[in-house]
Amino acid sequence: MARRIFKPRWQLPHLSLKDALFIGFCALFAVLVRVFFRIKLRISGRSMLPTVFFLMLARGSVSYPFAAIFAGLLAGSAAMFVGFAKQGPMVLLQYFLVAAVIDGLALLLPGRFRHPVWSGLTGALAGFSKFFSDYARNFLIGMDATVNLQLSLIEGAGAALFGLLAGLLLPVVLRRLRAYGVIV
Amino acid sequence: MGSRMPAAQGRLAQGGTRDDGIGRRMIVVMVLSCLAFLARRVEQLLLLTGINAVAIFWLHRGPLSLRREMRTFAWQTAIILGLHLFRFRTMAGLWLGFKVSWQLFLALLPGMVFARTASQSGIVRVLTRVMPGRAAFVLSTCMRFIPRLLGEIKNIYEGQVLRGARILPRDLVRPWHWADLLHCVVVPAVVQGMALAGHIALAARARGFERFPRRTCWPGE
Repeated sequence: MARRIFKPRWQLPHLSLKDALFIGFCALFAVLVRVFFRIKLRISGRSMLPTVFFLMLARGSVSYPFAAIFAGLLAGSAAMFVGFAKQGPMVLLQYFLVAAVIDGLALLLPGRFRHPVWSGLTGALAGFSKFFSDYARNFLIGMDATVNLQLSLIEGAGAALFGLLAGLLLPVVLRRLRAYGVIV
Repeated sequence: MGSRMPAAQGRLAQGGTRDDGIGRRMIVVMVLSCLAFLARRVEQLLLLTGINAVAIFWLHRGPLSLRREMRTFAWQTAIILGLHLFRFRTMAGLWLGFKVSWQLFLALLPGMVFARTASQSGIVRVLTRVMPGRAAFVLSTCMRFIPRLLGEIKNIYEGQVLRGARILPRDLVRPWHWADLLHCVVVPAVVQGMALAGHIALAARARGFERFPRRTCWPGE
């Protein structure tokens, strides 16, 4: 009797150890630089600049389709347990949301962040995801809906602005890396 | 000779806990954070504040200065009170805002204290229990090598400064010098990071990493 071999229709692409480690470095830099951004500036959403930049760098440099999500989960775990984050477990959700937007838009938009317009748009939308994580946290606490909306919108708008800046910086870096032949 | 063995090492030798209670402390921190989200009344918040004070003493094994955390609380309270004043324009609204800020602080405080008091290696060991083995390996390896990568980035930075790049802190106040930072530091740092990742991956493979489906050993401290 012939043995039937079932092949799944869709398999998760393989992530090489080298790429995984590079993504890990991006994730840790996202956390470390975020610490620096927390020191003196009192501008809403400023920590989104390194977060979006390094998560987009992970996705832009590695061809793995879920690179940003992997980096986001690593960065969230590092931030949650190893220090620096003031939000506890919610920080994992925040990193995941940012990373999911980046990975989703990398699949939908052309060029994988090579074009400044698409890259900037991705950065801004990824940054604005802070609105949802902040709204969810404040909602769980029981904050008044209007105040919650205003507070989350302020945070989200600031984060979107810094995300936009990160998105505009990234194509410059990716172009140089491609010129050196470091990424394809 | 072995009589002066450190406490944690002694427990290990006796087959005791490997993470020095960090897993237990992590659970307590998460439970306290979750309780803060559930507490709505002033009595509950007061009770939880007391429990947090005891927990902080336990986490640090002694009194701990909370100046940094209190600064965060003050800043957060100012923003929330401002917004509540704008919305309600009454003392009751302000009180509501203060309660929300208090609750938020209690949700964040245990995590902040835990992050300050727990050792990094212990946390990573606990992480390996809850994360997939590969992800835990990547995270712990990157943590171990990040000081080396930072050292290399520092060398790159100093080299570029000597070559005349306008990347000193006083130069970076002007945003048009940020391009220099990108070209002279960020790009070489990314290249260096990729090279280091390649070397670590090669070394790990040479030591049989991923040859077996389950992990067979874990590097020591």
